[in-house]
Amino acid sequence: MNVLGLFVRNLMRGPVTDPYPFGPTKTAKRFRGRIEFDAASCEGCKLCERVCPSGAIKFSKDPGGLAFDCWHATCVFCGTCAFYCPTGSIRQTDDWSLAHVASEKFALVEHGLIPNQTCAECGATALDTAPMEGGVKPPLTPEEIATLRPLCPKCRAKFMKARKAKK
Amino acid sequence: MNILTKFKDVAARSPWLYRINAGSCNGCDVELATTALIPRWDVERLGCQYCGSPRHADIVLITGPLTRHVRDAALRLFEEIPDPKVTVAVGVCPISGGIFRESYATCAPIDQWFPVDVNVPGCPPRPQAILDGVAKAIAIWRARL
Amino acid sequence: MSTQAALLVSVLAFPGGLFALALGLALKGADRRFAARLQGRVGPPLLQPIYDLVKLGFKRTMVPLTATSQLVFLVTPLVALVSMLYAAALIPVPGLPAPSPQLGNVLVLVYLLAIPGVALMVAGSVSGSTYGAIGFSREMALMLAYEGPIVLVVAAVALRTGAAEGQFAVLSLTEIVRHQQVHGANLFDPVLWPALIAFVFFYPANLGIVPFDIPEAETEVLEGPLVEYSGPALGLFKLMSAVKSVVVLGLGLTLFFPLVPEGPLGLVVWLLEDFVLMLIGVTAVRVGIGRMRIDQAVAFFLKWPLVAAIASLAVVVVV
Repeated sequence: MNVLGLFVRNLMRGPVTDPYPFGPTKTAKRFRGRIEFDAASCEGCKLCERVCPSGAIKFSKDPGGLAFDCWHATCVFCGTCAFYCPTGSIRQTDDWSLAHVASEKFALVEHGLIPNQTCAECGATALDTAPMEGGVKPPLTPEEIATLRPLCPKCRAKFMKARKAKK
Repeated sequence: MNILTKFKDVAARSPWLYRINAGSCNGCDVELATTALIPRWDVERLGCQYCGSPRHADIVLITGPLTRHVRDAALRLFEEIPDPKVTVAVGVCPISGGIFRESYATCAPIDQWFPVDVNVPGCPPRPQAILDGVAKAIAIWRARL
Repeated sequence: MSTQAALLVSVLAFPGGLFALALGLALKGADRRFAARLQGRVGPPLLQPIYDLVKLGFKRTMVPLTATSQLVFLVTPLVALVSMLYAAALIPVPGLPAPSPQLGNVLVLVYLLAIPGVALMVAGSVSGSTYGAIGFSREMALMLAYEGPIVLVVAAVALRTGAAEGQFAVLSLTEIVRHQQVHGANLFDPVLWPALIAFVFFYPANLGIVPFDIPEAETEVLEGPLVEYSGPALGLFKLMSAVKSVVVLGLGLTLFFPLVPEGPLGLVVWLLEDFVLMLIGVTAVRVGIGRMRIDQAVAFFLKWPLVAAIASLAVVVVV
């Protein structure tokens, strides 16, 4: 007669239904939802494109620089890209509201552009990526990062070599 | 004319759901069952009801990447559903192929086989997202009545 | 001519027809809402069965190519609905004009109650669907099991009333009600308790609800005989099952507990009794327990309700 107890409990307590879609709903704090990309902090290592199991992330050459695209209609929200991203420029939000009419299918893209810049040292055209900080000892100071940022990869390598020699 | 519109408004409050498992891993099916069965996400509030026979259906929920084996059966089943009907692709597999995109055994995306109206991406989608998709499908269905 | 018109009104409007349809749909709506509440859900609006019917009106009716006869396929739901409307006109409802004796007595009612089952069987077999055929065979097995007890129950009540009234048997439902109003309800007559038990089990089986919804089990045989029906034809079956719940509830109340005040108040009390019986006897049961297998159900009916009904009849004859 366990069932009768359940009936009485349900009738006394009232419905436990979430009011959505007529009212607000709750989302778990660590819910893995839509991906957000921050182009300013990206190193351009393309590790995320390599680890993405469903091939949702794509880097492509663009006249303006390097374009990042994540198509949420094929992303499986595994979070591997966010886990491997060395700079944390890929972040998973808790946004799950992705339902859309079929005509908007290809609009469901997280787009970011790493723009081109002219190297402050040699004048070559290169991407405005964040300097690579991983594995550098001693860690780069904010001043050094600010110096590295406007340089092209060749000049950055030169700078790092000089830094190592100085130490 | 006005009465007909009113009747259509009333009719739009009773969409019956039918789901086709087109080779899904069952993740999305579990979410669909969750949306229907557990008290927390009560899809019956929208007047929806899961029906056993495709003849009774109004909104078709398709899960899975449409494997080659199931393609013909799924297409036949889809034809059995009387008009007007609305198709909802649930999960990333039917929308784009998802993780099975380059497999030789799947025919994803399904919009080259079915007239898909609403997409609910996710792997699997949240029950709220499914409710959202069903609500969008009801709006489309109302226009088609 | 005027008697014929009156009969037509009684079948089409009160107490059959519109009245039974409205009450049946209200019962269904209350049933779905209460089932949701028992499960801790909000549930559909109370008018949901009406929305469903309007929706079905907008859908296309498809006749399968495998159907052996298109005509039979389309006429069957109509036959089922009309038989139930007729049966609803036979139920004496307090506060409404008594059913005309020309329409028939309790035996006619018992026969009419078998027609929806037969219609479902025909629908299942004529559709040419495998699931329909399975539903057909299950419906037939179940009907063979529950039709015996209900006839015996009705016979027991008729004989008991007849013995008290100094006749052999009283078959008019109005007479049965009048007898109980004078001598107390059959519910409190220990001789008829076995018959009451048999009727309690007949009631879910005839209405096709859990635990005896085996022919229409949507999770097993895709709603069985209804598998090929769509649109307005399916709507007719839904209407039929709504009216059938009124008829079976009304029959139970008439046979065992027709004691209500006179006049419009009686009608209100009768409606309340209907709703209470529906919510407790149908909704709570169907939410609370699972479905039986067809062999279990048939064995069950041949074991308990049949024995109870025969015992009741024997006691009535001996006493």
